[in-house]
Amino acid sequence: METSELELTADLAHIDLKHEEYEALGRAVEQMIEYFSRMNEVDVSGLEPTTHALILRNRLRPDVPGQKNASDPLLENAPELEDRFIVIPNVL
Amino acid sequence: MTDTVSSWRKVLDSGDTQKRYAQFVRERNDRINAFLEFDPGRSAAGEKGTDSTLAGLPFGVKDNIAVEGFRLSCGSRILEGLVSPYSATAVRRLQSAGARVVGKTNLDEFGMGSSTETSSFGYTKNPWDLTRVSGGSSGGSAAAVAAGLVPFAIGSDTGGSIRQPAAFCGVYGLKPTYGSVSRYGLVAYASSLEVIGVVARTVDMTERAFNAMRGSDTMDQTSMDAAEYDGAGFGDAGPIRKGEVSRIGVIGGDLGLSPGVASAYALSIERLRKRGYEIVEISLPMLEYVVPVYYTIATAEASANLARFNGIRYGLRPDYAENPDELVRIARDRGFGDEVKLRVLLGTYVLRSGFQDQYYLRAQKIRTAVRNELAAAYREVDLILMPAFPTNAFKAGGAAAGESALDPFQQKVADRFTSTANLAGLPALSFPVSIEEGVPAGMQFMAPPFSEEKLFLAGREMEEEFPAPEPPDFPARWR
Repeated sequence: METSELELTADLAHIDLKHEEYEALGRAVEQMIEYFSRMNEVDVSGLEPTTHALILRNRLRPDVPGQKNASDPLLENAPELEDRFIVIPNVL
Repeated sequence: MTDTVSSWRKVLDSGDTQKRYAQFVRERNDRINAFLEFDPGRSAAGEKGTDSTLAGLPFGVKDNIAVEGFRLSCGSRILEGLVSPYSATAVRRLQSAGARVVGKTNLDEFGMGSSTETSSFGYTKNPWDLTRVSGGSSGGSAAAVAAGLVPFAIGSDTGGSIRQPAAFCGVYGLKPTYGSVSRYGLVAYASSLEVIGVVARTVDMTERAFNAMRGSDTMDQTSMDAAEYDGAGFGDAGPIRKGEVSRIGVIGGDLGLSPGVASAYALSIERLRKRGYEIVEISLPMLEYVVPVYYTIATAEASANLARFNGIRYGLRPDYAENPDELVRIARDRGFGDEVKLRVLLGTYVLRSGFQDQYYLRAQKIRTAVRNELAAAYREVDLILMPAFPTNAFKAGGAAAGESALDPFQQKVADRFTSTANLAGLPALSFPVSIEEGVPAGMQFMAPPFSEEKLFLAGREMEEEFPAPEPPDFPARWR
């Protein structure tokens, strides 16, 4: 795989690859993509794609309030808080 | 069995036994690293259920399943320090049946691996041989049960992550029908494939825990009750046909098994015949393509599911960055391990515009073919018997460990027997058969959707033939 292809993919995935990661990860990605190409041997004409194995239609729950509000313990997990706002490092 | 259950019921009864139990678990856990967090006192109070099937029993929870007040690391640095504000539906249901969470078990990072070696917190050693892996990704749960630390544990199975470690450690591993157990509170890896299931030392305990967890849940719209399933394509999913000899399908030809697993496969077939089952050779040509299809779909879903981890609201956060985008990139680079990066990159690649039809869409179509092929097979047989994995527990350390080792690519290719059930949403139960080269070798039964009872029925017969073995270095479970 071209380094530029890997770079573009990493960029889309919001992952910054370090220089030394390119070679090993690039090789591993390429090996799997090559393995995926084995799927070309299958005749898929007439086959509908399966998104979910057993669920054939949307299932909705009644729209009634009553969920537990976990916002306080969730906020306690934030690295830094100011009142109920999450503080991030100064990036500007 | 009953004796074992009643002795387990007492461990959390009083402060004194609880202390001795904690000591017992910590000593054993120091040798195998099955629990990432262990605290039998934390959830002991106020959970006396009316349903007594699991009353008082301690259990372990894989660390990608939420338990209020316990950490939820997913084996990843990116979630270090996160404490869950809520509990998964499956956990709450087990608690309502009287069971008590005692700790969180080790796993491959976000469930991505076959050995727990991708965990950021060290791998879980196999209680049968400390130089070998416990399997993965639910290796901590399987090793904890095999080493006698808990009577059962729960895990998640996306492509074999319950069944393979259960087979490696000589215990039972149930991957239920997709949707039969709510995924609410399970940190998502590949949403269309995964389900929460059980690891236990007996079929009976496996069934009890499953019955307590199962059923639709308003918090997971893919969950459903068996009665709601319309059987589409799979025909009769009822109990093993009455009045006939039950038929079990086996796969012929060279399956690429290690000698130990091949002999365990032959032995289980022989015992099934002895017990009056009719063995029918079936052919599943699509088995050849299951792994590339599975990894295309799993990584595609993973790349979307793991996009939420950005180091801002919880978990690892960089101290500085030039701009918000860089903040996210640095958090993900430092927080994710190599295997997670590989799968996120692969998933992003197969979903890129221009490649989608070639990989993701094609994989989804072949998934239909896999499903059709299995539906046809279940018109001929009641259950399918397959190995859980082509080898038994391999050496830790990857390819560098020499013989009896598998590199990460070989480990993925070896998922072909397990990931089949995930692609088709089918339930499957892995069970111990024999000891080969000093470690257990396991098989699995795979059944039509929502027919777990077939698995338990045949599983009990196999349990009489091959009761779960006890690791020599971890004898005398808690009394």
